[in-house]
Amino acid sequence: MNIHINGQAYKLTHENPVSVTAALALYFTEPQQSTFAVALNSDFIGKDDYDQTMLKHGDSLDVLQPIQGG
Amino acid sequence: MSLSIYGQRLDSRLLIGSALYPSPAIMKQAILASGSQVVTLSLKRQNPNEQSGQQIWRYLQEIITEVDGQLLPNTAGCKTAKEAVTLAKMSREIFQTDWLKLEVIGDDYNLQPDPIELLIAAEQLIKDGFKVLPYCTDDLVLCQRLYDLGCEVIMPWASPIGTGKGLMNPYNLATIRLRLPHATLILDAGIGKPSDACLALEMGYDGVLLNSAIALADNPVLMAKAFGQALQAGEQGYVAGIMAQRQTAHPSTPTLDTPFWHQNN
Repeated sequence: MNIHINGQAYKLTHENPVSVTAALALYFTEPQQSTFAVALNSDFIGKDDYDQTMLKHGDSLDVLQPIQGG
Repeated sequence: MSLSIYGQRLDSRLLIGSALYPSPAIMKQAILASGSQVVTLSLKRQNPNEQSGQQIWRYLQEIITEVDGQLLPNTAGCKTAKEAVTLAKMSREIFQTDWLKLEVIGDDYNLQPDPIELLIAAEQLIKDGFKVLPYCTDDLVLCQRLYDLGCEVIMPWASPIGTGKGLMNPYNLATIRLRLPHATLILDAGIGKPSDACLALEMGYDGVLLNSAIALADNPVLMAKAFGQALQAGEQGYVAGIMAQRQTAHPSTPTLDTPFWHQNN
């Protein structure tokens, strides 16, 4: 199963669906240490839903973090 | 004299951006020197193995605590209402605020807001409980529509973002002020120098939002002070009541008993 996180492809070795929580563990070395918010296929996913939201082949996550802005 | 945004009283009429400064330390000094209590910031994709975004976030939290202020997340980079709504919800989760500087860009050349998508996004976000501060063009009807939707604060541009060209169309801006007397009007984008901000306040605008004019100055901290003083001058000038312009000259010095005066025959 292939997913994308911030535009980067991730190939998962198992065929079973994985949760957003599991996918974030692929992306961050220490997710709990980071400040971020997540969108799945361009729709917002709240933190409370990470465990229950399962990803399927071709899904795309955006993981955004604070930055300076005008 | 204070500014009210969605019922929150603020001591300064300046909303300030957090980008483009030479360093985080200068950013902090400039924000503190400006007196602003509202600081804009954003969300972006970042390298997960770098902690720069995390450091900036901690820095901005410290500043907001120090000035007893308010973060104002923006939706920079969004080109559709759907993108802006998604980014707004992500920002609300992280920053724990309903305030939102709504940006929906319609043209890459001059970063002009897309009025159609802006209205769609504003309507949806207000339904979702956001307090929307829309960045828009100086189009009276667009501003009216945004106000009618429930945007208590409207932020027309002075000129395109980052140009520093100042108030491109004072007539349009003055007309918006005249026609929307109860809206909180913040002049956003394109301000280049303190006198631009002063002029906006003299016209009756409630505040200005700027970033580049301070961050890109040779001395951002000094420029931040200058903007703070310019806003005070503009506000006091507006409150004091500016004299009406006259078509012809009128001597300031009394003409009665003018020396060396002779009756012309």
